[in-house]
Parts: sequence; C-alpha cells; structure tokens
Amino acid sequence: MVEVALGTALAAIGAGVAIGFAGLGSGIGQGIAAAGSVGAVAEDEDMFARGIIFTALPETQAIYGFLIAILLMVFTIMVPGKEVSAALGLVAIGAGAAIGFAGLGSGMGQGIAASSSVGSVVEDPDMFARGIIFTALPETQAIYGFLIAILLMVFGGLLGG
Amino acid sequence: MVENISTIITGLGLPSGEAFLALVVVVLAIIGLIAVISAIRPVLSMYPYTYPLARVRARKGRLFTDKQYTELLESQTTEEVKNYLRGLPDYAKYIDEYPLEKALDTQLAETYDLIARIAPDNTKDPFTFLMKKWDIRNIKSIIIAKEVGLSEEETMNLVVPFGELSDKLNTLIDADNVDEILNNLEGTDYAPILEDSIPVYKETGILLPVEASLDKYLLENLLRTAATPEDDNTAYLHEYVGNLVDITNIKMILRAKADGLKYDDIEPYMVSDGYQIREWKLKDLMESEDVSGVVNGLEGTDYAPMLTESLTDYTETGSIQAFEKALDNHISKVAMRISQKNQFGIGPMIGYLNKKENEIKNLKIIIRGKREQDLSASVIKEMLV
Repeated sequence: MVEVALGTALAAIGAGVAIGFAGLGSGIGQGIAAAGSVGAVAEDEDMFARGIIFTALPETQAIYGFLIAILLMVFTIMVPGKEVSAALGLVAIGAGAAIGFAGLGSGMGQGIAASSSVGSVVEDPDMFARGIIFTALPETQAIYGFLIAILLMVFGGLLGG
Repeated sequence: MVENISTIITGLGLPSGEAFLALVVVVLAIIGLIAVISAIRPVLSMYPYTYPLARVRARKGRLFTDKQYTELLESQTTEEVKNYLRGLPDYAKYIDEYPLEKALDTQLAETYDLIARIAPDNTKDPFTFLMKKWDIRNIKSIIIAKEVGLSEEETMNLVVPFGELSDKLNTLIDADNVDEILNNLEGTDYAPILEDSIPVYKETGILLPVEASLDKYLLENLLRTAATPEDDNTAYLHEYVGNLVDITNIKMILRAKADGLKYDDIEPYMVSDGYQIREWKLKDLMESEDVSGVVNGLEGTDYAPMLTESLTDYTETGSIQAFEKALDNHISKVAMRISQKNQFGIGPMIGYLNKKENEIKNLKIIIRGKREQDLSASVIKEMLV
C-alpha cells in the first residue's frame, strides 16, 4: 500500500474542493440556464444562439475551479519526491475552499440570472445586452474567490516556493 | 505554545496532532456540507419552473400591446380584424380553420393546455383540472344547440377542440337528443352530474340547473385540487384559484339578488365553499334581502372596498356590470401581484393566463363592437379590460 503524507492528502482535498464545489455551482447554474433556454427555443427557434450564450456563462466557475485544482496538484501531488507539509496542505485546502465555495454561489446565482435573462430576451429581444450585463454580475464572486485562491497559493508558499 | 496545543490534543483523547488535524478537516467538511445544502435547496425549488417560465415569457411577449389594440380598433369590418389576426402566429393557425370567435376560444384553450402540460408536478393538478372548463363549455354548447335545433355543422362551430372530451365531440354532436348525449358521456365525471340535473331540465324546460350543476362541479373540485398548499408556489396557486371561486360565487349571488331571487332559488346551484367566503358566509350572503345587503355582508373581506365603490353605480343604473368589472379587475390585480412576488415560480404562469384571458375578452369585445353594433373605435376602447 502506498503511504501518502498528511500534507499531500490535505492538498488533494484542497484540489477536490476547488473543482468539486465550483463544478457543482457551475453545473446547477448551467442546468437552470439551459432549462430556460430550451423553453425559449421551443417558442422561438431564433433564440438558439442567444440561449447558448446565456447557458455558457456559468461555465466560467468550473474553469476557475479546474485551474486552481490543476495548480494545486502541479505544485504538490504531481511533483515527484516533494514533501508537502501539513501546513502547506492546509493552505491548499484554504485555496480550494476559496474558489470552490465562491464558484458554487456564483455559478448558481449566474444560472438564475441567465435563465431570467433568456426569458426577458425571448419576451423582448432588445433586452439581450442588458441581460448579458445582469448575468455577468454574479461572476464577480467567483473572481474574488479565484484571486484569493491564487494569493493564498503564492503567499502560502505553494507557488514559486 | 506548541506544548499547550499538545496538552489540549492529549486532553481531548486524541493520539497525535495528525488525528487532531483530521478531526478539524472532518468538522469543517460537515459545516461546509450544511452550508452547501442550505444554499442549494432554495435554488433547486426554482429548477422545475425555468423551462415553463421561459415558454410563458415568450408568449407573454406576444400578447397584444396598446399599439396593436389601437391598430385593430381602426379596422372597419370583422374581415379586417381577421386579416390582422392572420398576421399573428398564435392566431393565424386557427383563423382560417374556424369562425372568428371559435378561433379565439381555441387559442385560449390551447394556452390552458400548454400551461397544464408544462406546469411542474406539484402545481400540475389544478391546471389539468382547469381543462375541464372546456369540456363543460362544450357540453353546455351541445345541449343548448340541441335545445334550439342547430345543425351539426352549426354546433361544431360552437365547440372548442380541447379538453378530455375532444375525441368524443363528434359523437356528442351526432346525438339526437339530451338523453343520447348523457349516454355518450357514460364513464366520464359528467354523467353523474347530468343524471341529476337533466330530469329537472326535462321537467321544467329550463337549462339553468344543467349549467349550474356543471359549473358547481368545476369550481368545487378546482378549489379542492389546490387546497393543500405545500410551498410558496402551491400557496399562491391556491390563493388565485380561491379568488376565482369566490368571485364566481359573488357574481352569482349579486346576479340572483338583482333578479330578486331568494335563498331557496339559488342555494342548489351555489358552490358550497370558498376561499375567503366560507360556507357560513355564503349562506349569509344568499339570505341577504338585496344587492346592498350582499355588499354589506362582505365587510371584512378583500372584496368589500371595490364592491362598496361600485354600489353607487348600481343604484344609478340598476346594472350589476360595475360589480362584475370591479371583481374582474380584482382578479387581474391578484394575478399581477402573485406574478411580481413569485417571479421564479408559479407567479408568471398565473399572470400570463390572466392576461391571455383578458386579451381574448378584449378581442371579442372588438369583434362584437364591429360586427353587431358598428361602434366607434373610441367607444370600443372604453369597453376594453
């Protein structure tokens, strides 16, 4: 049986939290947006392209989570022979939680906004630009989470250490 | 410091710092899970409504605007109205297939059918039950057509091809008399109702008992299907359906009192219960001497202020139209309020159904104004809902 050091295990949890929760939020958000878009397309076939745009927006949270998870893994688990201390492992959990939970909330929020925007656009096509702006607003929470995750990794000694 | 932490860890009965760390991670994971579940639950309750809401909002965007009403009011003949409606996808498919009024009713029935099909499971039953409204309307039309001796083709122009009985419409229309209609309805919910009321009709020649018994069945059961609110959506639906039932009851009582009917005359046809107006209150209202007695009896309910305002109008004109208009406005306000308060649930569906009902009412007013009375655009505009 392969012995896994505590620090490495904690870093793995951090990577899992990063993509797991961000992906959960993104998935729920995208599902809500997609369901709304399908309804809009059922009534107006011309809504297909705009529906796809709104449905694609909540994808970004999963991308942020995926990036952080990859970075965490590249600088800890995937470095041969590198010993990861328990303290570094906790930093990794912090970074993962930052983007994971921020992505969860942001993804769900963006999905709801996207679905409502699709409804508005199908009701009044002039609402497209304003719908995009409103839908983009919940992106900020994911960006905050992403930034904090990066900062934690940089100043916690995971990146460039 | 390190020694202090070690003492605490040992004091907790944990063998090492690693075990303590694992415990901390598990505790944080549990807290995180609780936070995630509480955040996800309200979002998931919106999930079933996203598809229907997009469809409803698409159709809401196609409802008549003030500009379109103005353009339509400028039409000189019903043929021009027809041509105008031919340009609108929702109406175009029925305009050439059916007479104008049937085309409008069919479009409305199609809207009800769509809502019943796309409504999420926990609010589906009342909307599905509402489709019986078209069955009841069709049964009434066919019985009346037999009564006045309309041909099969003329009768066909009165029925709407929606509802549970849509497959049976031809058989019902082919029936030679009311008894045969009753036989053809065997096995449906309507047979037992008509078995009781048709003998009265045959004895007296008055259709009211037949019509009233069908309406009573619809309203009583409609309220029942929405009677157990489980969440916000079902509670709002219950409120809307309840208001519909109350308003129908109030209109019936006001009409009866305006015609001078007594308690015993109307009691058999009344819905036995309501939403704000419960069974005992309904009895009180039916026992009122006159219209103003009914209005005073409603004190304490949401309906009292608007009806009190319309009382002067009734005293001057002797017509209950002002009451009916006030009550129709009230239900539209209820629908709009629900639509605004519950934007991610049942609200917009209720709001849209109400607006669609009003649109069809308005189109019928315009058509009748043009066809039967040749009224001017400004006069018809005044009459619109």
